[in-house]
Amino acid sequence: MFIDKSMTRKVITIRRDAGLDEAKKKMEDNNIRHLPVVEEDNTLIGIITDRDMRSALPSVFSTCLNDPVEMQRIAGLKVEDVMTRDPITISPMNTLEDALMMMHKMRKGAFPVVDQKGKLTGIISTRDLIRAFINVLGMEIPGTLLCIEVEDKIGQMKKIVDAITEEKISFGSILVARRWEEGKRAVFPYLLTNNVVKVKRKLESMGYTLLNPMEWSLDQLPKIEENESWNERT
Amino acid sequence: METGMRKTGFLYDERYLLHHTGPEHPESPERLLAIYRGVEEGGLLPQLTLLKAGRAKQEWIEAVHSMKLIMRFEEASLWGMDMLDHPDNRLCRDTFETAMLAAGGVVNTVDLVMKGEIDNAFCAVRPPGHHAEVNRVMGFCFFNNIAIAARYLQSEWRVKRIGIVDFDVHHGNGTQSIFDDDPSVFFYSIHEHPSFAYPGTGREFEKGSGPGYGFTLNSPVLPGQGDDAYKELLQRDLLPAFEQFKPEVILVSAGFDSHSDDDMSDIKLSTEGFSWIIEQLVAMADKYAGGRIISVLEGGYALTRLPELIRNHIKILLGSEG
Repeated sequence: MFIDKSMTRKVITIRRDAGLDEAKKKMEDNNIRHLPVVEEDNTLIGIITDRDMRSALPSVFSTCLNDPVEMQRIAGLKVEDVMTRDPITISPMNTLEDALMMMHKMRKGAFPVVDQKGKLTGIISTRDLIRAFINVLGMEIPGTLLCIEVEDKIGQMKKIVDAITEEKISFGSILVARRWEEGKRAVFPYLLTNNVVKVKRKLESMGYTLLNPMEWSLDQLPKIEENESWNERT
Repeated sequence: METGMRKTGFLYDERYLLHHTGPEHPESPERLLAIYRGVEEGGLLPQLTLLKAGRAKQEWIEAVHSMKLIMRFEEASLWGMDMLDHPDNRLCRDTFETAMLAAGGVVNTVDLVMKGEIDNAFCAVRPPGHHAEVNRVMGFCFFNNIAIAARYLQSEWRVKRIGIVDFDVHHGNGTQSIFDDDPSVFFYSIHEHPSFAYPGTGREFEKGSGPGYGFTLNSPVLPGQGDDAYKELLQRDLLPAFEQFKPEVILVSAGFDSHSDDDMSDIKLSTEGFSWIIEQLVAMADKYAGGRIISVLEGGYALTRLPELIRNHIKILLGSEG
């Protein structure tokens, strides 16, 4: 799953010499939080985020609102004074998984997508990944989610899939929660039907436990300490 | 409206049994037989105005569904296909005609209520309708009977404010989508939370669009919940919404699959819980709509429970209980 299949291609960009008011307006008008900064030939030179803007502009509580010299300095601020230079980028041939892991480790919300010549070709943001996630879960197709507790051993999934397929039911997706009880996993098949009563009974008669929906979760074991985040290493 | 017995219509026709869904399909003709038996054994038939099916005019259906869908449905059924688009939507040769009779029966019932010949009604029709969209059949539904009735009320009776209450355990996605941008139809649905139940829509943030924003309201109920949750949500969401909207007619998508004995859902409504809900709806109809309330069967698959559930439902419409 490559970035160039999921990224946003129509990127709203800004020039380095634009004022912060222009950047702010572009973000508000387009309801976005990241503006790649490009040269005339579309070479990426930086990125400016709504957080950069908030840090640069005075708060309404700030005392400098009464300081004409300071206010004039702020009014003269340009995008290039506030932007992050040489931002972290991603290539169209990186994958969605790369983007997910980069967002997770680097705690960023978006990466400009840049080709080998340094030209901006798109942007991939949490929004694109959310869309992709909704899509892979099949959430926009009508269906019913089940949750089956299985032993953590090879061949369980095949039995479940076979049993469901025999009922001529198709799958929207299957999620597996790996970190469940010791030696157990939870399998979440999303079935594209309103008619699950029979298949539920069948799975139970095969010895599987259908978990009470109020117990459903993706992660039952205690979380592993994240003792080494990317931020701390850099 | 004065207390005492009301004139209640009961739409039932043996031709509604002709839509066969094959073995092991929950939306079976036996559902209607159980319902009729419940009404009959409760001694209610003499108190009711018995209504028979009538065939829908095509223009009534076209006011909701695309021509393309109507023709595909008719063709598939007449040619003896065993399903339309999805195995949930089982077909037989009589399915199209049965769907025409269901929609037509409901529209004829609407006429009788609007003319004042009856006060209110329960329509025991098949196939159900609330999942059906303009251009899509799904979840056992072909023609959206409730939506067809609402459009008819708009065009023929010039009703300006129609309130639809859908208490089937599944979200009424079809009805919601049809009236999404229509501020003259208030659509309220209470159902099992979409993360745990078909079809996966009906979240609280779905509130309509454009001029219809604020005229759609959804109350998702978590698995395992029952009477208390329904009482709390209806009082919190539906009652104030209708107090403000003041529907001139109330249409009900009546699904009985949230009963604790119905294995189509994880919702645990009791028989008394259903009665409480219907009492609220009838009270609202009396308050805002001159008593005009037309209840139309959607889901409900527990054959052992349907007789008592429908019997109680009808008794409350009659005003002989509660």
